Amino acid sequence: MIHQYKLGGYNIVLDICSGAVHAVDEVAYDIIERFEANDRGTVISEVQKMHPEITASDIEECYAQVVSLKESGKLFAPDTFEPMAGTLKAKTAGVVKALCLHIAHTCNLNCEYCFASQGNYHGERAVMSFEVGKAALDFLVENSGTRRNLEVDFFGGEPLMNFDVVKQLVAYARSIEKEKNKNFRFTLTTNGILIDDDVIDFANREMSNVVLSLDGRKEIHDRYRVDYAGNGSRERIVPKFKKLVDARGGKNYYMRGTFTHANPDFLEDIKVMLDLGFTELSMEPVVCASGDKSELTEEDKPIVMEQYEKLAELMLKRDKEGKPFTFYHYMIDLTGGPCIYKRISGCGSGTEYMAVTPWGDLYPCHQFVGDEKFKLGNVFDGVDNKEIQDEFMSCNVYSRPECRDCWARLYCSGGCAANAYHATGSVKGIYKYGCDLFRKRMECAIMVQVARIFEGQK
Amino acid sequence: MEHIKTIETRNLCDSAKNGGCGECQTSCQSACKTSCGIANQQCENTESK
Repeated sequence: MIHQYKLGGYNIVLDICSGAVHAVDEVAYDIIERFEANDRGTVISEVQKMHPEITASDIEECYAQVVSLKESGKLFAPDTFEPMAGTLKAKTAGVVKALCLHIAHTCNLNCEYCFASQGNYHGERAVMSFEVGKAALDFLVENSGTRRNLEVDFFGGEPLMNFDVVKQLVAYARSIEKEKNKNFRFTLTTNGILIDDDVIDFANREMSNVVLSLDGRKEIHDRYRVDYAGNGSRERIVPKFKKLVDARGGKNYYMRGTFTHANPDFLEDIKVMLDLGFTELSMEPVVCASGDKSELTEEDKPIVMEQYEKLAELMLKRDKEGKPFTFYHYMIDLTGGPCIYKRISGCGSGTEYMAVTPWGDLYPCHQFVGDEKFKLGNVFDGVDNKEIQDEFMSCNVYSRPECRDCWARLYCSGGCAANAYHATGSVKGIYKYGCDLFRKRMECAIMVQVARIFEGQK
Repeated sequence: MEHIKTIETRNLCDSAKNGGCGECQTSCQSACKTSCGIANQQCENTESK
């Protein structure tokens, strides 16, 4: 399978199964478009009519180049990966390598669009005790097999509302990692309200990554991200985020925004983040119940698509100005990305990745917390709901019929099980709106990489 | 005349021979938390690339 598109002044051809990316001229683009469905004579004749200014011998030479790429496995490579689809998960069955610790099911903000239902996931407000967190870390170490790098997210709700336990858990993890031959990588996701010098010092010392929630423009941010008195939070958090990022010394962070029906023109929010001096950015489409007022509509979609294209243009422009920035979804590494096993295995939710509630219950991921039927077990006794775990174990690119004909399947790995479940009632469904956005993001991300290579050669 | 410029990429077919160590990050872990994509992840098995 191939996918070809024109963007940013480039004609790009993706060979899906080999992973090859080609930048081609108009003649090659038109030949490749006709190559599989027509014989050589028809292709050459049609393309000649389209490009009368090009000599016949040049078109024939171009055709030969396409044939050569096909023979070398870089165009029209067949999909031979299906038999391998379950192998990575089977090989690593029972191995857990990442936990999302719901350190606090409570929040000091009352964001209307929150998928965690203002932090409590439709349940009781609670904070995780050290004992539960310690048991979670022990569960992770015990079930991580030979895997050395273990990832732990401090998540909520707002994790800084239980900061003492965060600190105690990090200290505990550090005390055992050498003896257990593990390397913990921690992430903190925070709304910023409780950031102070102590948090900054701790986060910059211990957190591999910090995810900071900021939606961009003041009126956009303060529309949803309000406290319980209804006051916007932006003015309180931006100085704290700046201080934290300045002190971070280049360590990873993301300024993470959410865009909704209120701001499908989210590029304006990204520009505001840039103006504030932040350069590591993520902007995510809202996840909400169908019919919610924040939900992105079909009318929003062309606006969002255009924003992604303009975002790619802005990245390239800022590259030239010596002011580059990172957008999470455009961070595609064409030479160092995931192997094919990873690409077809699907999301690791419910198998290698689980979420832990304040009470120690295990769920397939943070987005399933609160939906009792997805409860997998708990950190004290392990996983006992094998039926649900098997459902997640069997999720992969080939288990979703809609993915079979999608050119982006080896870039997304089958999509988000939670989004699929909420859109269709099945973790093996697809969230079509999200797929459309994802494909656009990939087109833009790859175009940016192609452009950077061409610019670098000038 | 060069009509096609092939960008250097990881050959996915070749990665079938030596990939699958499982050391890489889980999909939306540590980052977006609301959408899955693996294209922007790093391979953590430096020996297999």
